Amino acid sequence: MNDSLINNAALNSLTNHKTPQLNININISYQQFELSIKQSIPLNGITGVFGHSASGKSTLLRAIAGLETTLTGEITLVDTSLVNSEQGIYLKPEQRQVGLVFQNSRLFSHLTVLGNLEYAVKRCKNSRLSLAEVIKLTELSALLDQEVNQLSGGQQQRVALARAILAEPKLLLLDEPLSALDRHSKTQLLKMILNIQKQLSLPMLYVSHSLDELQQVCDTLLVLAQGKVVSFGNIHHVIHQLNNNHECDLIQQQTSLSLPIKTFNNGHGLTALALNAQQDIFLSCDQAFEQQTQLRCFILASDISITLTEPSNSSIVNHLLGTIKQINAQQNNVLLTVICGSQDFFVTISAFSQQKLSLTLRQQVYLQFKASAVRTFIH
Amino acid sequence: MINSDLQALITTLEMAALTTIILLIIGTPLAWYLAKMTSRFKVIIEAVVALPLVLPPTVVGFYLLIAFSPEYLPGQMWQQATGQQLAFSFSAIVIGSVLYSLPFVVQPLQKAFEQLGDSLLEAGALLGAGPIDRFFTIVLPLTKASFITAASLGFAHTVGEFGIILMIGGNIPGETRVLSIALFDHVEAFDYARAHLLSISLLISSMVLLAAIYWLNLPKRNKPKDLTVNTKREEQSANE
Repeated sequence: MNDSLINNAALNSLTNHKTPQLNININISYQQFELSIKQSIPLNGITGVFGHSASGKSTLLRAIAGLETTLTGEITLVDTSLVNSEQGIYLKPEQRQVGLVFQNSRLFSHLTVLGNLEYAVKRCKNSRLSLAEVIKLTELSALLDQEVNQLSGGQQQRVALARAILAEPKLLLLDEPLSALDRHSKTQLLKMILNIQKQLSLPMLYVSHSLDELQQVCDTLLVLAQGKVVSFGNIHHVIHQLNNNHECDLIQQQTSLSLPIKTFNNGHGLTALALNAQQDIFLSCDQAFEQQTQLRCFILASDISITLTEPSNSSIVNHLLGTIKQINAQQNNVLLTVICGSQDFFVTISAFSQQKLSLTLRQQVYLQFKASAVRTFIH
Repeated sequence: MINSDLQALITTLEMAALTTIILLIIGTPLAWYLAKMTSRFKVIIEAVVALPLVLPPTVVGFYLLIAFSPEYLPGQMWQQATGQQLAFSFSAIVIGSVLYSLPFVVQPLQKAFEQLGDSLLEAGALLGAGPIDRFFTIVLPLTKASFITAASLGFAHTVGEFGIILMIGGNIPGETRVLSIALFDHVEAFDYARAHLLSISLLISSMVLLAAIYWLNLPKRNKPKDLTVNTKREEQSANE
């Protein structure tokens, strides 16, 4: 079963030379709210859609799914035109082959878990996926005969996820799928979503107001504010761009990294990540790192400090030599961009410290931060 | 003599059954439309539907009698189409009953559709279910209790009708003479024994029907009210 899935995925990547795209060029206007989005999104992996409430992220998903009826413009999924207001095309949701997992799972309470899954299977036109395979991927085999309102929130979302996959959509939309769950269920479901994405090579659009969540699963990030695209691209680049975007004030300023693990345990309970050929970053070792080769982490700008000489008598394990690339004065703070090798780091220091050290562009400084300031997403 | 009462019972049941079927056929889309409607005309349609609840049946009957008479358009059209007079016919009392019992069918259905909301229908659509598919596989099973209530109330209310039938149906045995009219006849003729018999049997059967409706709706009341399953449960992670 597994083999056939992997072959399928391999076949897909072979036959599609060019990455299929989701093209969006739409306008939606209500009395209080206007959404205007023009963006092409390559359909590979999981693309995050980030923004605060009322930024239009859920409206965008509803528009793609066909649940938003008052819009003008175009939406094209691969080669299918979902909406084209000029040509008068408006596909109904049931004709779009787009799946959606809602925040509240929206299960059919008159059916059992299996009944909910079969509802999707019966209406699916392709049936390339087997029910048994999806039940295994979502770990639902023990729950099939249960009434859906007997399930916990996490279990309900797993059923909703399985049901959406079984409809075999070309694109799966996830609208804040974890927001009603506790931390344990969140981690479990995130891992499941990542695994399903890889196994089935099903492109996903993941909406969330939590950057944390998105940093764990997304490679690409679309940021919305007030109904407009603020930024789009590689998740680390986008986060770094947002650091300097004071108008939106969307995120905590931080350095977002994805680094190879160099040493799992250096004998003192520290894991070393290779920043570049010369420099490493150390963080506290966790059993969960053992199976991984690459680690995603972030360091808040407020957790990094600057010294002018190498701190040799300090308890702080990470000190990196870098060059100041940008100095950005904010209210009582200064945001510094310091480049180490080819990696930008973001540091906030007080205006007072900036005055005391009188830092200038292209000056060489040492960044220092504790091992515990390197935050990972493994709970 | 008892035969004539049996005849009236049969006429009544035929009228009520046919009325209930017609009410479900036209009441369901009307209730759906009202539940989804956002226009300001909604209140006007709602008021028209609810009118029989407050209006004396004789008022409704009087206007229907005029409309059904061959001098006016509806009566004329009927006569042209069927070759028969509409007023004082079985068809007339069925049409009258449909109008008179409309709120008893539309209101519970409208409330059920409003409570059901759009969320599950959206979920169904995204799984590939079209509108008719969604109605039979999502709406109907989840609002089954309201359909039973609506049908039973429509039926029972039609059985208990008097004023409209007297106005537009008259008292033709085998055609428009229903139980309530037969009862009225017996009282007018001082035949209290038969009046008692009819009254007590109507009373008991209505009682049984209403009790049955409430009993059918009982298990639903103990279940959580929201139809979508989105409540976080206390035993949340206990099973995980």
